[in-house]
Amino acid sequence: MKILIADDDAMSRRLLEKTLEREGYEVTAVGNGLLALQELSLPDGPRLALLDWMMPEMDGAGVCMEVRKQVERPHVHLILLTSRGSKQDVVAGLEAGAADYLTKPWDPAELMARLRVGQRILQLEDRLVEARETMRFRATHDALTSLFNRGVTMDLLARELTRTHRENGSTVVILGDLDHFKQINDRYGHLVGDEVLQEIARRLLGSVRSYDFVGRYGGEEFLVILNNCQSTHAVERAEEIRKKIASHPVQTKCGPLSMTMSFGVLATQDWDLELAEQVLAEADAALYQAKMEGRNRVKLAKPVAVDDVLQKLVRQAGEREP
Amino acid sequence: MTEQHDGAPQVAVNLNELLVRVDNDHDLLCELIGIFKEEFPRLQQELRQAVAREDVKKVETTGHALKGMLLGLSVTRAAASAARLEQMAREGTIAGLTDALILFDAEVKGLLAELVGYATEIEP
Repeated sequence: MKILIADDDAMSRRLLEKTLEREGYEVTAVGNGLLALQELSLPDGPRLALLDWMMPEMDGAGVCMEVRKQVERPHVHLILLTSRGSKQDVVAGLEAGAADYLTKPWDPAELMARLRVGQRILQLEDRLVEARETMRFRATHDALTSLFNRGVTMDLLARELTRTHRENGSTVVILGDLDHFKQINDRYGHLVGDEVLQEIARRLLGSVRSYDFVGRYGGEEFLVILNNCQSTHAVERAEEIRKKIASHPVQTKCGPLSMTMSFGVLATQDWDLELAEQVLAEADAALYQAKMEGRNRVKLAKPVAVDDVLQKLVRQAGEREP
Repeated sequence: MTEQHDGAPQVAVNLNELLVRVDNDHDLLCELIGIFKEEFPRLQQELRQAVAREDVKKVETTGHALKGMLLGLSVTRAAASAARLEQMAREGTIAGLTDALILFDAEVKGLLAELVGYATEIEP
């Protein structure tokens, strides 16, 4: 484990360095507070530090205060080394952000015991962070496919639409639905269905750029959001995805299964829609059209021009006249 | 060994404690004594100059550094003298600084030779 020693006394620094190296620590030793702060601020800097109280440039308590301001960084266990033994000094050191203190001259056994306490605290913090990240992932991702879940997908879509509107840009929204998926579940069982969904998720993710979003919208429905994608490329991009899905069968424990997908595509440039629900309704209508026309195809959602509607109404009225 | 004020030799270093601290590592002990030989005379000179100038800030920091160094080598009596100088300077007590310095100088007289002697004696 990495550890930082900051002490302006060369003898004390060397003694600590040697003692800690003997115990297997990876030691960095510096002679003043500013250098200590620099080391502790490095992205992969030590998370365990022994800081002398009185040092040139910045004292140990000052280093503690600066380190504690870096709230986004992982916790650093700071131990102040002091020959100032009064209660007031101890309180001041702990208030400054030190986690512990040791009085000089330190006892080797006590030093090691306190460092082990520090390591236990750091390990506990790591486990807590890991647990929090796991919970965050579970709250935002679909458990089966690891894609964004519906809630997050909708949030991302809303955010993307707002950005697109503000920047007068273009976003392409692709709503895809696996063809005849129910038959897979009915014929081979849900476990095979799950295998198919997982593989489809991988192929969808593999078809988009790193800054695009893919989410599981429903059972076998997926939503792809292509940022900064012009409407002229919308169908082309959806076709690429469709071909990638249909290109080769999905390998399952029941053998290879050929799968296809139908897609409804909407380019925000072609529309004047701001709400995610409106966009999805239009993409869904196009998807329905793709299904009606035989599946395994891409349909672009196009706004109906007012003139076209009027002409259609006039034509229908004319047909009804005797 | 240092000499007491009456001239009798007196052990300045708590050798047992020092050996525990260096984990009986002779090379490390020699290395630390080497650092001490280099650093101590400089700090002692700085302390004398600071006392002469009545520069209490400098007396405080130099006294603190000497105290830490001496404690590290288990030279407790001399460390206590350095601590006294540090404390007096922190409190801004100028009167008595010179006497405290004389006492400190007496405590560390012959210390270097004693430490070098240990380094030679304990050679594995």
